[in-house]
Amino acid sequence: MSGIIELENLSFGYTPKSLVLEDISFEVKPGTFLAIVGPNGAGKSTLLNLLCRRLVPKSGSIRIDAAAIESFGPEALAAKIAVVRQGLTPIFGFSVIETVLMARTPYYNQIGFENKADRQIVNEALMATDTAQFASRPLGSLSGGEQQRVFIARALAQETSILLLDEPTSFLDLKHQVDIYDLLKAAQLEKGKTIVAVTHDINLAAQYCDEVLLLEGTTSCPGTPESQNAIRANSKYHIGKTQDVFSQKQIEKVFGVRVFTGKVGQERFLIPLGKFAKDSTQINSNPDSQPRK
Amino acid sequence: MIIMFVCSLIGTESISLKAVFSAVEKRTTVNPDYEIFVRVRLPRIILAAIVGAALASSGLVFQALLRNPLADPYILGISSGAGLGAIIAVLSGFNWTLWGRSPIAVFAFAGALGTIWLVWFISRLTGKFHTTGLLLAGVVVNAFFSAVIMFLTSVAKSQQVYATIFWLMGNMTEEDFFVLWIGAGCVLAGILALFNISPQLNVLSFGEEDARNIGINPARTRTIAFAIAAFITAIAVSLSGLIGFVGLIVPHGVRLVFGPDHRQLFPLSAIVGAIFLVVADTVARTVVAPAQMPVGVVTAIVGGPFFLVLLVKYSKRVSWLK
Repeated sequence: MSGIIELENLSFGYTPKSLVLEDISFEVKPGTFLAIVGPNGAGKSTLLNLLCRRLVPKSGSIRIDAAAIESFGPEALAAKIAVVRQGLTPIFGFSVIETVLMARTPYYNQIGFENKADRQIVNEALMATDTAQFASRPLGSLSGGEQQRVFIARALAQETSILLLDEPTSFLDLKHQVDIYDLLKAAQLEKGKTIVAVTHDINLAAQYCDEVLLLEGTTSCPGTPESQNAIRANSKYHIGKTQDVFSQKQIEKVFGVRVFTGKVGQERFLIPLGKFAKDSTQINSNPDSQPRK
Repeated sequence: MIIMFVCSLIGTESISLKAVFSAVEKRTTVNPDYEIFVRVRLPRIILAAIVGAALASSGLVFQALLRNPLADPYILGISSGAGLGAIIAVLSGFNWTLWGRSPIAVFAFAGALGTIWLVWFISRLTGKFHTTGLLLAGVVVNAFFSAVIMFLTSVAKSQQVYATIFWLMGNMTEEDFFVLWIGAGCVLAGILALFNISPQLNVLSFGEEDARNIGINPARTRTIAFAIAAFITAIAVSLSGLIGFVGLIVPHGVRLVFGPDHRQLFPLSAIVGAIFLVVADTVARTVVAPAQMPVGVVTAIVGGPFFLVLLVKYSKRVSWLK
């Protein structure tokens, strides 16, 4: 079984003096759906970029299926890890199927064309993401949610054991958010893919992900001496089963906001409460002692 | 592809020069029509085809690499580099030849390649490959060399200036088959090499990071494409001077009609570019006969409206115009 990601004492900083990520170690087992959450600037996207080798760690190591990430050539790495990024805009009007076919580029024959097997893989990816219906339309003519599904289809067509996603549901409406997570979950369960997604949506993460990595980031309180200390390293992170990491206390502490916790059946939900939230004092924020109807 | 290439040449020729074409069929007797055809017209048509194919293909590369639909083969300063080379050759008063080429052509070739290398080198100094950095470096180098050309023009004798300007406007009078075949070989090899990396260029149009995630080495692809495009453009410039518009509208026209896949675009652009310039050159030497117009005038006058028709007709189908 492949799709193992191991991090050991990983540190990274964009400047020589400050570290964004410090001494992070964890292991993602094959077929796990891991969410990376945390406040803005906590290093979520940085970590994702390290995992796909866009960035090189300052110290520590990343291993993919027990081999150091540096040991892979470009094609070998692309055969292990597929990435779905935010805001990709093609400049020339490639169609949906042409875009998805690009995933097979390293496997093209001598004169640069795909074979039957490639076509088959691409068709399956289009079916899995429900994008086959607009296969011949230009990518630019689709809505944001549809485009996102196309890029996921392209990542699926790479046939990797690991799938990395950077905020796959930002800018999408509720239905499209759920659609994306449904199809990611299906890829995890049916194909045994290891999925790592950076997200801001802790409720969707709680619903769909097996494990969570919560990065604390710099907790800056204006006026305190600590914040004058410029950028300090944030070494704190929590990783574990979703329900363990997403406790009300933890979320309130890390994000610096009051949250309301509710429970429907097995699913737990966390809702941030602002200053102007109505009746905020009356909301029972401890679901375990007194479940709300 | 080669067959279509040859067919297109003959087709164009038979339309515009029926008398000569019929003379070719009776080869037994020496006749002046045949002489004109083989020694004057044919090399000129081959030359136009080479230059057209080279400019259209390299325009396509620059549009893909710079992710900019406005790019053409001259955007990074090749034109001013060639111009500078040409005027230096004229001012130096050299009168040797290399393979039958005048020093103007040789210097223009060197100037074109030198400039593109300089622009590439400067953009590399910025650390990372940035299309904006490359474009800016190209524009600035272009402006600088243009200023140098103007300065040299102002101090030169009028006859020297005339020789340079005439050469730069594009002259399609190449008679030496040896040079033609070398040029044709280089350009054809370049286009085949570009075709070979066309799947990678497709992926690169989504950006460098994305290409890397798919398993493409963006730096390698870019360097190869850039070097080949610069090389075949320099060949085209040294063979025929500066002919504008072909490298801009042919790739665009072909993309509008046939879609963005570079695997189709390279062969199609090369063929369409060749046909287009052969036709344009034929028009240039017949319309105001016995005088001749610079072929660049025809490419713009004929090609412009034609391109606009394509643009309007197909614009609904292509999303990148919106």
